[in-house]
Amino acid sequence: MLNLPRWQTLVIIAIVVLAGLFALPNLLPQSALDAVPHWYAQSRINLGLDLRGGAHFLLEADLRSVFNERLNNLSDTMRGELRKNQVAFREVTVDPGGAIVVTLRDESQRAKAIEAIRAVDSGLVVSGQGDTIRIAYSDQDLFRKKKEVVDQSIEILRRRVDETGTIEPTIVRQGDDRILLQVPGIKDTTDLKRKINQTAKLTFHLVNEDIAAQGAIPTTMPPSTFLVPTREGMQELRRINPKAAEEINAANPRLTPEQICRRFQPQCIPVLKRVVVGGEDLDDAKATFENQQQGGRPIISFAFNGAGGRAFCNATRANIGKRLAIMLDNEVISAPVVQSAICGGGGIITGSFTTQQTQEQSLLLRSGALPATLTIIEERTVGADLGADAIHSGTVAAIVGTILVAVFMFVAYGPLFGGFANLAMLVNMTLVFAGMSLLGASLTLPGIAGLVLTVGMSVDSNVLIYERVREEKNNGRSPFSALGTGYERALTAVIDSNLTALIAGVLLFGFGSGPIRGFATSLTLGLVTHLFTATIFTRMLLAAWVRWRRPTELTI
Amino acid sequence: MLWKPLHLVPAHTKFDFLGKRRWALGLSTLINVVSLLGVAFIGLNFGIDFEGGIAIQVRAKEGAIHLDSLRETVGALHVGEVALQEFGDNRSALIRVQRQEGNAQCVAHADNVMKRRAGDGWVVKPGAPNTGDVQFTAPGALDATGWRDAVSRVGLTVLERQLPRGTANVANIDMTPEQRAEWCQQVAIKLVEDAIGDKYELRGTESVGPKIGGELMHSGVMAVLATLAAIAIYVWFRFEWQFGVAALIAMLHDVISTVGLFVLLQLDFSLTALAAVLTIAGYSINDTVVIFDRVRENMRRYKKMGLIELLNFSVNETLSRTLMTSVTVFVAVLALVLFGGPVLYSFSIAMLWGVIVGTYSSVWIACAALVYLKLRPEQIRGREEEAAKARP
Repeated sequence: MLNLPRWQTLVIIAIVVLAGLFALPNLLPQSALDAVPHWYAQSRINLGLDLRGGAHFLLEADLRSVFNERLNNLSDTMRGELRKNQVAFREVTVDPGGAIVVTLRDESQRAKAIEAIRAVDSGLVVSGQGDTIRIAYSDQDLFRKKKEVVDQSIEILRRRVDETGTIEPTIVRQGDDRILLQVPGIKDTTDLKRKINQTAKLTFHLVNEDIAAQGAIPTTMPPSTFLVPTREGMQELRRINPKAAEEINAANPRLTPEQICRRFQPQCIPVLKRVVVGGEDLDDAKATFENQQQGGRPIISFAFNGAGGRAFCNATRANIGKRLAIMLDNEVISAPVVQSAICGGGGIITGSFTTQQTQEQSLLLRSGALPATLTIIEERTVGADLGADAIHSGTVAAIVGTILVAVFMFVAYGPLFGGFANLAMLVNMTLVFAGMSLLGASLTLPGIAGLVLTVGMSVDSNVLIYERVREEKNNGRSPFSALGTGYERALTAVIDSNLTALIAGVLLFGFGSGPIRGFATSLTLGLVTHLFTATIFTRMLLAAWVRWRRPTELTI
Repeated sequence: MLWKPLHLVPAHTKFDFLGKRRWALGLSTLINVVSLLGVAFIGLNFGIDFEGGIAIQVRAKEGAIHLDSLRETVGALHVGEVALQEFGDNRSALIRVQRQEGNAQCVAHADNVMKRRAGDGWVVKPGAPNTGDVQFTAPGALDATGWRDAVSRVGLTVLERQLPRGTANVANIDMTPEQRAEWCQQVAIKLVEDAIGDKYELRGTESVGPKIGGELMHSGVMAVLATLAAIAIYVWFRFEWQFGVAALIAMLHDVISTVGLFVLLQLDFSLTALAAVLTIAGYSINDTVVIFDRVRENMRRYKKMGLIELLNFSVNETLSRTLMTSVTVFVAVLALVLFGGPVLYSFSIAMLWGVIVGTYSSVWIACAALVYLKLRPEQIRGREEEAAKARP
C-alpha cells in the first residue's frame, strides 16, 4: 500500500533534481557562476536590504495640497470662462472640502453658467441649487488623478535615483498615496535625499528661425542664440556612435549643448537663449486626442500656472508662425510651430504623433518637478558590514540548527529512519531555496529564522509517521503492514496540522512588510514544500526501502 | 545492531492529564491574568515600529563602548527620551530615541545642524504660528538648485513651488504640522550623528514616523485577530465547533502568555515580535490539531469510552510525537537564540517560550476546553452513522 506507480516515482525524482539545479547557483562561488550561462547563474535568491545593506524609504505624497492647487487654477479658468460668456457672479471660491463654489448674481443665468463650466471640462460633477453652483471632480476622476500623481512621482524618482541605470532601486506604489523606495548598497542617505530634491530642467525657448532658415548651420552664432541637439538626434547618435555617447557622459567639465553639436554633429536646432517659460510654471501635461471633427489625432495638452500662462500668452502672440522649442536637460524634446496666440493658461501640441509618442512626451514634460511633496515617513538604512554580520550569524544559526535537528533524528530513529527523515529535510530545504530563487523572493534575516524554524518543523511529519508506525508495530502488525498503516493513518494529521500553520503564514505575509514578509515567505514556502516531502517523498523512500530489503523486523 | 531507538516516553503511558485539568486551568488563568495586568500596568516595551521613533546601531571606532558616557552625550541633545543597550558585542550599542514632536525645539535642532553642516551664516526659524512652516535664511542669495541642496542637508525634501522664485536669501518652506513632525525625525538623526560621529561608527539607522507607527500597530492587531479567527474556522469545518472554540482558547492562551513574557522580560516588542506571536499561534495549533485528529479517530473506534478517558487516551497515544516534535523545534530555535545575533534575539526568545507554552496548551488547555464545552462523543458518532446510512 506504500507503493507508488512508476511514473509518479519518476516525477518525484525529476522535481527533486530540478529543484537541486535551481537551488545550486546559490551555493556556487562567483568564479563558477561566471562559467555557466547567464540565465542560469541569475537564478539566485535576492538578499534583502537588511542582509546586503542599503536604504529603505516609505514616502508619502501630499495629495491634498496638489488638488487644492489644481482647484485654485481651475477656479481661475472658471472665472475667465464665466466672464467670457457674460455670466455675472458674486464670487468663485475654493471649498476646503475639495470643490469650487460659484455664487451667481442672477439665478436665471444658472443654465448658461453650467454650460460654460461644462465646456471647460465635461467630466466635472456640478451640483448645488439656486444661485450657488458646486463643482467637483468625480470620484472616478479623482481616483485616476491621484494615481497619475503617484505614478508620475515614481517615474521621476526612478529617473533621479537611477541616473546611471546601475543601482537597481525598487520603487513601487503602496496603497493610495505611498511610495516604497529601496536602494541597495548605499549608506549615506543625504545624497539620495538631494537627488530626490533635484529637478530636471525644463524650459521653453523660441527657435531662431533666421538661422534655421539658412539651411547649413553657420560656424558662429549670434550671442543671443545657441545650438541645442534634439532628443531624436541624440538617440540616433547614441545608436550609431556609442563611443561618442560615452565621451559625452565622461566629459569633465560637462560639454555644453553647443559643443556637443559642433563635435558630434547630431541633429541640432538654433534656439534663443531667453527662457520664455520655465518648467516650474508647468502644472500638467497629458496625452490626449483632438476632437473628432479635427481628425481625432493623438496630441499633448499642457497647462501652466497663472504666471506661466501670462508669459506664454505674450510670447505666442508675438511669434505666430515661429517654432517654440521645449528643452529638457539640454535636449530639445519637441519644437512645435505656434499656430495662434495661446492665452488660456495652457495649450496643445499637435503633430504626426503616435499615441505612444504623446504619452512619452507628456511624461517628459511632466518629469521636471515632482507633482507632490514626498514626506519620508519611514526610513531604514543598514550598512553593508552590518548586513554581512547578519548574514554570518544567520548562517551559523541555520547550520547549527540543522545539525542539532539531524543529530537528534539519528539518535531518535536510528541511522536508517533518521536518515530518511534527514534526507527529506534536506530535500525540503532544497525545494525552499529553489522556490525562492524561482519566485525572485528576497531572503531577509527574519527569513533565515523562518528557514531555521522550517528545519525544526519539517522533520515533524516524519516524526508523526514514525510514531504511528511504532504504535502499529506495538499493536502487533507485521513490519510491512505497520509501515503502510502507520503512514496512511498519520497522513490526515500531517495535512491538517500543516494547513493550519499555513493559514498563519499566509496572513503574516499579507500583513508584513520588508523583513517580516521575508520571514512569512520562507516559512510559508517551507510549509508548502514540506507537504510534498512529507506526503510523497517520504512515502517513496519507505516504499523503495521495503521493496529492496523486505524487512521481517522493524527497528524503529 | 548496536543502536537502540530512543523513546522519549514509554510506549504505553497512562498519565491522567485531564484529571489535572483544574490545576492546569488555575495555573493558566493565573499566567494570563498576570500577563494582562502586566500589559495594563507595566506596559509592553514597544519598539520603534509601533510607537514611532529612531533606532541607531553604533559601534565604537576604538575599544569597548562606554554606555554611560554615550547616554550622557545623547541625553544632552534634548531629543526626548533616550534608551541605550549593548547590542551583540561589547563594542556595539543600540540607541533608541523617542518619537519626535514637530515643535520649536526641533526647529532649533535643525538650526544647529544647519550651522554645523552648511556654515555659521545659516539660520533656521519656525515660520508663521499655527502652521508647520519653517524659515531658512542663507548667508547669501541662492537659486532653486542651491536651496534644494541646502535643505537636503537637514533631510528635507521640497518641491519647486515651496522654494522662492529666482534667487533669494530667505526661503519660507510651507509644511503642515504633521509633515514637520515627520521631518523632525530626520533632524534628530542628524543631530545624534553629529554628536557621536567622531567616536562611533553608525552601522544602521531606522526611523519610523509618528503616522506609520500607529498604522502598524493597528494592522498588527488585526493580523493576529484574523489569524486566530481563520484557524478557528478551519478547525471548526474540519472537526466540530467545540474543537474550533477549544483551538481558539488554546491559541489565545499562547498569545496572551507570550505577550506576558515580553512584559516580564521587557523585551523589545517590534514587528519581528509580532511575527513571533503569529508563528507561535501557528505552531501551537499544529500540535493541537494532531491531538484533535487522534481524538476524532478514537471517538469512532472506541464507541463506549467516556469523554475524559477518551481524551486522556488520545493525549497519551500522541504524547511521544508531541514531545519529539517539540524537541526538534526547540533545538532549532535554541540555535537561533545562541547564534542568531542581536536583531533576532527577542524573536528567538519568544519562540523558545512559544514551543513550551504551545505544547502545554495543546495538551491541557485545548483538551480541557473540550470537556468544558461539553463535547458529546455519542452525538457526533450518531450523526456520523446517520450520514453513513444516508450514503447508499
